[in-house]
Amino acid sequence: MMGMVGITLEEITKKFGNFTALNKINLKIEDKEFMALLGPSGSGKSTLLYTIAGIYKPSSGKIYFNDKDVTETPPKDRNVGLVFQNWALYPHMRVFKNIAFPLELKKSSRNEIEKKVREVAKMLHIDHLLDRYPWQLSGGQQQRVAIARALVKEPDVLLLDEPLSNLDALLRLEVRAELKRLQKELGITTIYVTHDQAEALAMADRIAIIREGKILQVGDPDEVYYKPMYKFVAGFLGSPPMNFIHAEVEGGNIRIYQSKISVPKQYREIIKRLEITEVLFGFRPHDAEIIRGEREGIKGEVYSFEPLGREQIVTIAVNSDVFVKVFAPEGEHFSFGEKVTIVPNEERVILFDKKTEKALEYFP
Amino acid sequence: MRDVETRPRRNEWFIIAAIILVSLPLILGFFLLILSSFSEDMITNLSPSSFRPTIENWINVFQGKLAITGGIRQNILKITFNTLIVALGVSGIVTLISTLAGYSLSRMKFQGRKLMMLLLLMLHAFPGVALIVGVYLFYRLTFPQDPSMVRLYSFFYVVLARAALEIPMSVWLMKGFFDTIPWEFEWSGIIDGASRIKVWWKIMLPLIKPGILAVALFGFLAGWQDLIYVRTFLIDKTLATFIEANIEAEYSHMPLIAAAGTLYLLPTIIFFLTAQQLLLQGYSGGIKG
Ligand SMILES: Nc1ncnc2c1ncn2[C@@H]1O[C@H](COP(=O)(O)OP(=O)(O)O)[C@@H](O)[C@H]1O
Ligand SMILES: [Mg+2]
Repeated sequence: MMGMVGITLEEITKKFGNFTALNKINLKIEDKEFMALLGPSGSGKSTLLYTIAGIYKPSSGKIYFNDKDVTETPPKDRNVGLVFQNWALYPHMRVFKNIAFPLELKKSSRNEIEKKVREVAKMLHIDHLLDRYPWQLSGGQQQRVAIARALVKEPDVLLLDEPLSNLDALLRLEVRAELKRLQKELGITTIYVTHDQAEALAMADRIAIIREGKILQVGDPDEVYYKPMYKFVAGFLGSPPMNFIHAEVEGGNIRIYQSKISVPKQYREIIKRLEITEVLFGFRPHDAEIIRGEREGIKGEVYSFEPLGREQIVTIAVNSDVFVKVFAPEGEHFSFGEKVTIVPNEERVILFDKKTEKALEYFP
Repeated sequence: MRDVETRPRRNEWFIIAAIILVSLPLILGFFLLILSSFSEDMITNLSPSSFRPTIENWINVFQGKLAITGGIRQNILKITFNTLIVALGVSGIVTLISTLAGYSLSRMKFQGRKLMMLLLLMLHAFPGVALIVGVYLFYRLTFPQDPSMVRLYSFFYVVLARAALEIPMSVWLMKGFFDTIPWEFEWSGIIDGASRIKVWWKIMLPLIKPGILAVALFGFLAGWQDLIYVRTFLIDKTLATFIEANIEAEYSHMPLIAAAGTLYLLPTIIFFLTAQQLLLQGYSGGIKG
């Protein structure tokens, strides 16, 4: 039903006055791909989405849909569907009219409008709400109407700007699965903006992490989660975030405050080659064990522990003002101030350069 | 326990009492005027004996009689109609221009936008009387040669001139209303294929209905009530100039003028009785969680 559309962004820069909101963005989104654009608030996600839609014109750079340069194409000729963060449903129109609006502008026939609106409403389970006004709907229903309105004109590209951020947590989980399924069924090229890392990991084929208008890394969920290119990426994905500790390299060992552990296998050569002496030692709370006896590891004292049902998060003070979080099984008992040793899973440890905060394996 | 919004405020009665006290002279004045229009003599005190009810005055007003005796007649229906033309004309022009200009000032970037907003504010600060010499000069310069056109032209001119006085304020008001509408509404329309003018007409205008209503009503009242401009430029009479001309005439019967005055005040009274609801009623749009 829809044409093949891949999107290519080439050196996209967007300035608002002196402020650079997007800084030389290069990104390729394949046909039918679900791409998540993940970044903190104010990182330029919406700006990039609006630039792709044609609402903003890039200050420099080019946008291609397939091989066609659409940089100068007005929004209405790009055939994109956009769901805004606030959904922007027209309050003076009933649901039917809201969804029909794009078709009416296209001068579709009454019959066709009727048919298509009902079809898309059925698909999104809102066909019983067509006579209501938007303000008579719940948040979840309003969101479905917004998606229906974006889909009804059968766009080549679907752009979603934090569509779930106004829903409560439980509903968000439900819609998340449904939206992912819908995207695959329709086979529509989709860019999904979110600041919620769990959402991006759960839904996307690939994730682009953006910070301060720059794309830091693009990759599938496993790649960005397990092989983060920057400390920022590592810290942004996963909850609670990855632990980072300042460490010094001493020959084949790494000194972390009073403790000394050997350099993880995968980093031995790189460290030697780069002659690095100071690193950030990173490991995820799930990728370490808490040991009571004598073992090679990072020594510390139990600062606090929070049971979470099946497991607990233990906060350990490695130094007076340096804390790390590690998961422990539910049965284990800790006491405040207890001396323990953290043994990170060697394979999962990631070392970052202290100055550039880039993971060492990504150095040329 | 009541909902937060409906809980009465503690000092409410005090505030209401203060408002009533301050507006008492006004209310009393209007009350006496309206009462007099139904009385054989003017009521100037509150003694009940001076009130001798009659609807004679109203009948006379609608028959166009100015004095109970004598044969001076004026077509009051025609005068009311004239007033209506001026009021509707001013209202129409003000509404059209302020919704268009308000939209562009709120939403579009163009050369001289800042300057224009500054000038609007300054223009608003000028009282109409101060401008009247210049406006009159222009009136003379553009006055038609053809005598049959003169009356029509005077209508046209007074509507335009009076509307011009209202426009700065109305444009500001409209700009304010447009400013409150999130950009996303407009962008959504544009992505879906609407032109700017279509967005303005189909999305923006319905969203600011209360604002349009306010501007239209203010324009209407301005035209309806105006005395100075109508008197200077309009060859025919409106209610305002009619009352003004007859209030001092020795033949005039005061309760009759009171009836005409009540007629003249009617739109204002209706407006203030109904408009609050209209103005406050916006769309309860936005996001629900
Ligand atoms: N129209 C604009 N004018 C000026 N600055 C803007 C405009 N739109 C966005 N910005 C700025 O650009 C940055 C990125 O904004 P945005 O793309 O909305 O971020 P995000 O969607 O990631 O939260 C922010 O610092 C924001 O203040
Ligand atoms: Mg945003």
